Amino acid sequence: MDNLDDLKAIWHTAKTDALPSSQEMLQMIRKFRGQKLRNKWLMIISSLSLSAFLVSALFTGHTEYISTYIGGLLMALSGVLIAATNARSLKRFYRLDDCSNLDFVAFIEITRQNQVYYYKKTMVVIVVLCLVGWMLYMYEPLVKHWLWMGGVYSAFLVYMAIMWFVVRPRSFKKDQDKLNTMRQRLENISNQLK
Amino acid sequence: MTHFEDLYNRYAPQIFRVCLGYTNDADQAKDLVQETFISVWKNLDGFRNQAQVSTWIFRIATNHCLRAIEVAKRMPAAELPFDIAETVEESPEEKLAFLYRCIAELEETERIIISLELEGLPQAQIAEVVGLSSGNVRVKVHRVKEKLAQKFKAYGQFR
Repeated sequence: MDNLDDLKAIWHTAKTDALPSSQEMLQMIRKFRGQKLRNKWLMIISSLSLSAFLVSALFTGHTEYISTYIGGLLMALSGVLIAATNARSLKRFYRLDDCSNLDFVAFIEITRQNQVYYYKKTMVVIVVLCLVGWMLYMYEPLVKHWLWMGGVYSAFLVYMAIMWFVVRPRSFKKDQDKLNTMRQRLENISNQLK
Repeated sequence: MTHFEDLYNRYAPQIFRVCLGYTNDADQAKDLVQETFISVWKNLDGFRNQAQVSTWIFRIATNHCLRAIEVAKRMPAAELPFDIAETVEESPEEKLAFLYRCIAELEETERIIISLELEGLPQAQIAEVVGLSSGNVRVKVHRVKEKLAQKFKAYGQFR
């Protein structure tokens, strides 16, 4: 049984009649595309719309403080950054899979490094821009209606502190474990291809 | 769209066998076939015939296999039990199951290379799929074949 032809004969006895028909496959594909891409497109469209709304509100509203303008622009900028990051990820999703296994492993490693970069740099920039922007934007109403806006302002800052110092490190650790497992696996596969 | 259906009807069984060789799990293999043809459907307009269409499809399929972390988690960490020869009959289904179990013990790229070889792809095409030279693929096929032969002999199968 060490003859390759014998093994090929066994190999081709595998039953493939349980596979879906081409029509069923097309239905699955349409469903999949709708689900997978909807969230990314929604994120891009909503963050860009929000940014556009913020900017238009700044220039059509009755703001007196410069801090309101700066804050609004910073938040709009963070919205544009979110849209750009998601568009980049969407582009990767559409990327042609036509590369050899060797190139593909290298491509996955770059994607992994991009994910690490996103967690360590991009996400920090987005959150800082958004938070500083919000604080500056809300400064004007805080000064004008300090009694009840003070409560809103403080509650939001407490919420952001919890998200930043408790939720984010936990989520980062969980994702980092996954990424480390992926890195080890890629190293192993790269070594096999040497 | 007809073109896609032609491709699916022609290559889906081959892709399924290769994915089954990699995963040793029919459900997982079916999922990988689905993912492969989603990628094919997505990129069919952009395919410029620079490579053979079969090479292109097998590249997509094997890349999906390599990406599937869940498969890696389920792969056996230990060798097959030594008393397996006493329990395995020689029906075609069990010969096939035994072949898959032996392939499942191999490293990821070895599983891909031997699956493509058993599927009947020329070694030059396997080289294009994996990204190695033809000479390197020939050596690897030879080594994997030796490993499989040893396993078959060690477990006393199908004499």
